[in-house]
Amino acid sequence: MISGGRGGKSAPSASSWAVSASGKRIQREMAELNLDPPPDCSAGPKGDNLYHWVATILGPQGTPYEGGIYFLDITFPSDYPFKPPKVVFKTRIFHCNVDTAGVLSLDILKDSWSPALTITKVLLAIRAIFTNPDPSDSPLIPGIARLYLADRAKHDELAAEWTRRFAK
Amino acid sequence: MFRRNNIASRIFQRQIYTPAPGTSVYCARRFYENLVPSCTIYDVECPDQSFRKFTDDGQYLISFSRNQQDLVVYRPTWLSFSCKEEDCDAHDLPPKAKRFESFFTHLYSVSLASCNGNELICKDFFLYVESNQYGIIATSTPSIHDAAANGAAIQGVPYVEKLTFHLIRLEDGVILDVKVFHNDFVNLTHNMGVFLYDDLLAIASLRNQTIHILQIRDSGNLVDVRAIGAFCREDDELFLNSNAQCIAFPDKSKLHQLPGNNVQNGTHLSQPNQEDSLLSGIKQRLLSFIFQGISNEEKDPALRAQWLKKKFYFRFQDYVDLIIWKVQFLDRQHLLIKFGSVDGGVSRNADQHTAFLAVYNMETTEIVAFYQNSAEELYLLFERFCDHFHTASKNSVSMNFVSSHSNNIHALEQIRSVKSKASSQFMKKMLGSLPYSCQSLSPSPYFDQSLFRFDEKLISASDRPRQSTDHPIKFILRRQPCSLKFKIKLGPEAGNADGRTKKIASFLFHPFLPLALSIQQTLFLQQPSVVNIHFRG
Repeated sequence: MISGGRGGKSAPSASSWAVSASGKRIQREMAELNLDPPPDCSAGPKGDNLYHWVATILGPQGTPYEGGIYFLDITFPSDYPFKPPKVVFKTRIFHCNVDTAGVLSLDILKDSWSPALTITKVLLAIRAIFTNPDPSDSPLIPGIARLYLADRAKHDELAAEWTRRFAK
Repeated sequence: MFRRNNIASRIFQRQIYTPAPGTSVYCARRFYENLVPSCTIYDVECPDQSFRKFTDDGQYLISFSRNQQDLVVYRPTWLSFSCKEEDCDAHDLPPKAKRFESFFTHLYSVSLASCNGNELICKDFFLYVESNQYGIIATSTPSIHDAAANGAAIQGVPYVEKLTFHLIRLEDGVILDVKVFHNDFVNLTHNMGVFLYDDLLAIASLRNQTIHILQIRDSGNLVDVRAIGAFCREDDELFLNSNAQCIAFPDKSKLHQLPGNNVQNGTHLSQPNQEDSLLSGIKQRLLSFIFQGISNEEKDPALRAQWLKKKFYFRFQDYVDLIIWKVQFLDRQHLLIKFGSVDGGVSRNADQHTAFLAVYNMETTEIVAFYQNSAEELYLLFERFCDHFHTASKNSVSMNFVSSHSNNIHALEQIRSVKSKASSQFMKKMLGSLPYSCQSLSPSPYFDQSLFRFDEKLISASDRPRQSTDHPIKFILRRQPCSLKFKIKLGPEAGNADGRTKKIASFLFHPFLPLALSIQQTLFLQQPSVVNIHFRG
């Protein structure tokens, strides 16, 4: 599990991030994100810790997640951008790529991570799996993936019910 | 028109005049100006018990034995005695009549605690279900203050091993039903943690951060209706568990990625114990509401991002860390919930802490409104519509006449004058009384501020004990001739000179009879309390 929240141990102290390369990079990405926020997405640091962020993604229109408000914890490692940030859902979601503890499985946050990627692109990628779940590549919850492939209507109905109950 | 205030002329007036429509009760209540509890029996010999209160219909006097094990119930009766001699009125009350038993008939005693091991009656707690004449009494094991948090429990909140709510038919003292909480904590001081509205009971569990809604059935049963906290809808957990079957087939190769592998176990899902785990149901609703509110304040997308960053994300963790402190019903659907930081939840001067008030609709599971406890908007609502916050059950007629600053011009003038002196601190202090504690006000007409004026620092309708004073407490007519009508004295005027020992006094007024008890205790409870009976002689 990721240790999040203020004062998490993985993050460098306040004095060191002000000058560190990762800190500068995160600040630049924050400015970029605020200048041109992707649709339905927003994010920002929790308190005064630049390495612990919260993001909000609104369930995109036309998906069963529409109307839901999803909160995500984002933790940047101290050697960012050479390592990917860790992203965890804080809101329950019925999705084949997010497990019941909120852990998200996304290739660009694992093996396909590249230092060229930014938080804006990560948010866009997460928003994309709301629209198009990825049931093919060993999904976290195979049960939901199978349902998605076999009975899309039933899947959407359940996902919408989860949205109504847990993500409003 | 000439007006006399003596009782004979008032009765005569009542015969010949019809009061203006809708004012008959108010006119009748003016008779209380003539019928006042001006006689006092000092230090009456009475059983050594803690007297809790008169029920709002005046039928019962609720009392607990000193060892906090028994409920003792009395029926208030009117004093009567016979006098053989002529010119009875000139006589003082005969010594035989100056007894507790002349005013109160013992109905029964029920042992509540002894049969439950080491549980004792919480003597600060009592609720009365007027429609059925049921009483709700709590017993609990001693609270442990430095208990470590486990599971979903909140660090810093005390805990009791066992807490039992007893539903009692006051007519005969039969225990109809009990509701038991284990390893939990409900703040029972002055009924704070429990609110009764009609037949619905809201119990705020501080330790497990859950609001339990119970229904009191006419049959005398306590039925769980819903629990608000980890989940919002009553069947959310069931829904999640039934869904778990469909999603609970993770690949064996991926098991290591599932922290705790808690897919099959719904109760694990509902009790996240890590800071990082999923938001509870009520928190998700709260954060969504705050997010939408802040988001809607700024229309321009780029500016909105900045706005959210500053107003929402920066304070996100503070919102997540809020805990439920107190709750009240506004009506059958809506709850007023107070959220605050952990350290303010059980501390005495809680109004010093920043806190938030949320209106929550239980049926739609939506947050309807959210205010900080210093919000001017909320204060103005509270000033004008205090009685809407002050919800009593529908069938409680007596509570319609409790003075508040929304129904009484004198009370309003008083708070306005204080407000003009220290506005923001005052607003915060006033809002600190929200959510209201249930059944904490006495409906006695002597606290009706349109009839009497009195020093609210010394006495008021609210049933808090106060530091006792040697001076008599004066009740002065609100209307002309504004004369002193009666005094409540805690001791004979030339009483003991022992002014150094601090004493606390509590007052129990009968809801409609000119009858009151004043109880004086030394701060260290070795000595038995001194009880005076005030009545109309």
